[in-house]
Amino acid sequence: MSTLGRVCESVEGHARFVADQVRRARQDAAFRAELLERWKAIRESIGTVRTPTGLELPALALPPIDEPGEIARILFGEGLPGEFPFTNGIYREMYRQDGGGSGHRAQEEPTRLFAGLGLAEDTNERFHYLTRHQRSIRLSTAFDGPTLYGLDSDADGVFGKIGEGGVAIDTVEDMERLFARFPLGGERLSASMTINGPAPIILAMYVAAARRRFGAKVVSKLRGTIQADILKEVQAQNEIIFPLEASLRFLGDMVEYTTAHLPRWYPISISGYHIAEAGATPVQQAAYTLSNGFTYVELFRQRGLDVDRFGPRLSFFLDCGLDLEYLALARVCRKIWAIALRDVFGAGERAQRFRLHMQTSGRSLIAQDFKNNLTRTAVELLLAYINATNSCHSNSADEPFTTPGEEYVRLAAHAQSILLEETGLFRHMTNLLGGSPGMQAVEQAVEHAILEEFRALDRLGGVLAAVDVRYQRAQIQAAAHRYEQQIADGTRPIIGLNRYTDPGEKMIEPKVIRTPRRQKQHQIDRLRAFKHRHAAKAGPALDALARTVESGGNVFAELIKTVEHCSLGQITGRLFEVVGRFRPSV
Amino acid sequence: MAEPLRILTAVPICDGHDSAISTINLEFIRHGLEVVYLGYHRSARDIVRAAIQEGVRAIGISSYNGGHIEFFSEVIALLKAHRASHIGVFGGGGGTITKADAAKMQHQGVDRIFFAGTPLSELTAFVKERYGKRRHATLRRIAVDSMRGRAASAARVIGITGPGGAGKTTLIDELVLRLLKARSEAQIAIISHDPSIVGKGALLGDRATMIYSQDDRVFMRSLATRGRAGGLSSETARWLRAMKSGRFDLVFVETVGIGQEALPFRRGLVDKSIFVTGPDYGSRLQLQKIAMLDAADIVVVNKGDLAGAATAVSEIEQRLAVNRRGQRVVSTVARRHRDPGVDRLFEEVSA
Repeated sequence: MSTLGRVCESVEGHARFVADQVRRARQDAAFRAELLERWKAIRESIGTVRTPTGLELPALALPPIDEPGEIARILFGEGLPGEFPFTNGIYREMYRQDGGGSGHRAQEEPTRLFAGLGLAEDTNERFHYLTRHQRSIRLSTAFDGPTLYGLDSDADGVFGKIGEGGVAIDTVEDMERLFARFPLGGERLSASMTINGPAPIILAMYVAAARRRFGAKVVSKLRGTIQADILKEVQAQNEIIFPLEASLRFLGDMVEYTTAHLPRWYPISISGYHIAEAGATPVQQAAYTLSNGFTYVELFRQRGLDVDRFGPRLSFFLDCGLDLEYLALARVCRKIWAIALRDVFGAGERAQRFRLHMQTSGRSLIAQDFKNNLTRTAVELLLAYINATNSCHSNSADEPFTTPGEEYVRLAAHAQSILLEETGLFRHMTNLLGGSPGMQAVEQAVEHAILEEFRALDRLGGVLAAVDVRYQRAQIQAAAHRYEQQIADGTRPIIGLNRYTDPGEKMIEPKVIRTPRRQKQHQIDRLRAFKHRHAAKAGPALDALARTVESGGNVFAELIKTVEHCSLGQITGRLFEVVGRFRPSV
Repeated sequence: MAEPLRILTAVPICDGHDSAISTINLEFIRHGLEVVYLGYHRSARDIVRAAIQEGVRAIGISSYNGGHIEFFSEVIALLKAHRASHIGVFGGGGGTITKADAAKMQHQGVDRIFFAGTPLSELTAFVKERYGKRRHATLRRIAVDSMRGRAASAARVIGITGPGGAGKTTLIDELVLRLLKARSEAQIAIISHDPSIVGKGALLGDRATMIYSQDDRVFMRSLATRGRAGGLSSETARWLRAMKSGRFDLVFVETVGIGQEALPFRRGLVDKSIFVTGPDYGSRLQLQKIAMLDAADIVVVNKGDLAGAATAVSEIEQRLAVNRRGQRVVSTVARRHRDPGVDRLFEEVSA
């Protein structure tokens, strides 16, 4: 049986365990007494909070029950917030700001603002602008097309793409410029990089840039995330550049290195976002993301890494759209992940926690009557926080056209502040809506459907075998096609598109930010100067890299040296010769 | 019957957004178009080369990652440089291409940019209306012209056939890589086939999975069978003649996925024939029924890393032994980079 078969068994096994506890609670007097005692103690331990209008409420919402079986079902089946299997959340206090909450959110905008435009200096300036009032500095980087595909800015045919939709990074020097005047390794700084195919090379540049500025000791202090989720690239987003096997090996080398030397780094963000954006249903998103996660755990364990060391450094990234399933999607994911990590992989509690970042759905935003996107995003944000996500990015209403402009970026950020700080929904009580009848019904249906999808993957021989026959891809494409058909025949209402369209509407042309030609040329010129300066050392550095790949050494450790003398495109070019290129499938 | 309208679709370099174009491809096919799909992350050079070789009437580009003004203008300029401006260019990119951009691009020679929310029917109607009337003869002549040049000797023709999904296309691409590397002057032609029904559309998607065959030294033509049985098209022989008198050293002919009874290469059509199969052909008895095992010069057991591959090789060897023709059996893993099995196959093919 493949891992997924065992995951299904563990989830079902857990359901049987819960049913047993419920029965025991009803039949076994001693157990019942113990349970009621525990329930009473929990109730008594919950503090009270006072709303601005003076109403007193418990800080943690529990259902008003005293039936022992039901108590057992809650304690064992979903767990209190912060308790196995973490259905209600991975921490006891989620967004509370008074009483026991961490309270840090009140002083800053609780968002990770995605930035990346033009050259490294432009993005650096934007980073400084975005973080000027923030206590924690969270730098979230988008890269331009050539960088995402491992090409240099002077590669044939990419001129128009330089600095579009993200920042152009060719060399370690660009990486230094990108984070200039930021205290890398600082306690309050974390950098996140959204890149996959060439992720190990880009992270190596980040490490090398930090060392150049702060010395070798900074490495163990670096905090941040790199997406590096290569499985979802094959299934949905198409930004994989090396063959899958080689990509997974480079990833494994990187995770091994960060686990040992960058203990505060999140070396992979297992992402359903792009799977959903490519057209997957919410259930497909959850099933493929979780199953990809299990595959990574299995691969890293196979190379001898300890799940209790790398497990707590895995994080997840899910899309939050408007479909009903999103009411409980993350709740189910947390539960399945926790059970599987404990019962299939023998992981401890820290690795059982499903650390989650969400983002509102880009696909749900449309160009027509685009200000409606503010409402869509607000509803999605509400769903994300009802799901007890650990952080969330809210999209800007102008995203269907362009890299978001400042006005809409600010509105998107403030939507979160309004939800978390202005409204009382999340700041006083934890677990406001958890366990409501509707949510339970959705939860059960979603869990059942996810396990069905696991079984389908299992029958194909597991995730990698399914990738091989393009299963996930085909399923996602079929779902995307159904979605389009539903829009066309009106069974999926989209306001402003297939309902209540404004006949007089002229499409508003928002301001678009583009990188000027002369900037693009400047990037090419300095890249060429870098190559010229390092001409003598680049060849030997690439040879050493190729030898490391061939001999089975740690490629990431070598890349940290290679990037000192070689550009991104030089490195990928050499690696293509050694391991080949990714072959797309249609 | 009128020839189906042929167009080429692609997603630009450094752009992997293939969701929209996949849906559009299906819609085009449903309306009887033959779509040569080049895939995502494709350079303007690759797109224009393929458009000329394939003799399409228009190029449709789906761009979501920015840089579209430069990219489309590069495509237009390259078409002009190759005297192929008769090939139309249209495209779209959801909301990423603004009205102002579109006006600029249309001024530069793009026929039409479609915006978010355009019904698929409008797109299809435009393509049929705008490109439905061009003459085929011109397109064919230009494609044939691009094959001109002198080969060192007459081109050898290698026929490659086998069941669908055996890895024929990947094998050809890997052989092309080896030949391009081994001989700096080598020129290669490829005819690939995809099945279609008379008067219906077809997705010609082999190019999308080929990485190394998008090269100035490679000419490729994708043919739909248009209802013809047997694995080839009624045009195959004609193209083969044109290729033989062109600049090529080697020509590959790839059939559609074939059944057990098929013998796609009639006498004299190819110089050497290769039958490609996976190890999953079923029981030993099934082998007796495969006609190509008697006809092929080389039998390739691809996916040699799968369980059962060694058994498959020995069963096939025994099956071929009775033929006493010196047929070769080669085990390959085409999807593996620098696979020694493909190296051996390359030697056999070059021999």
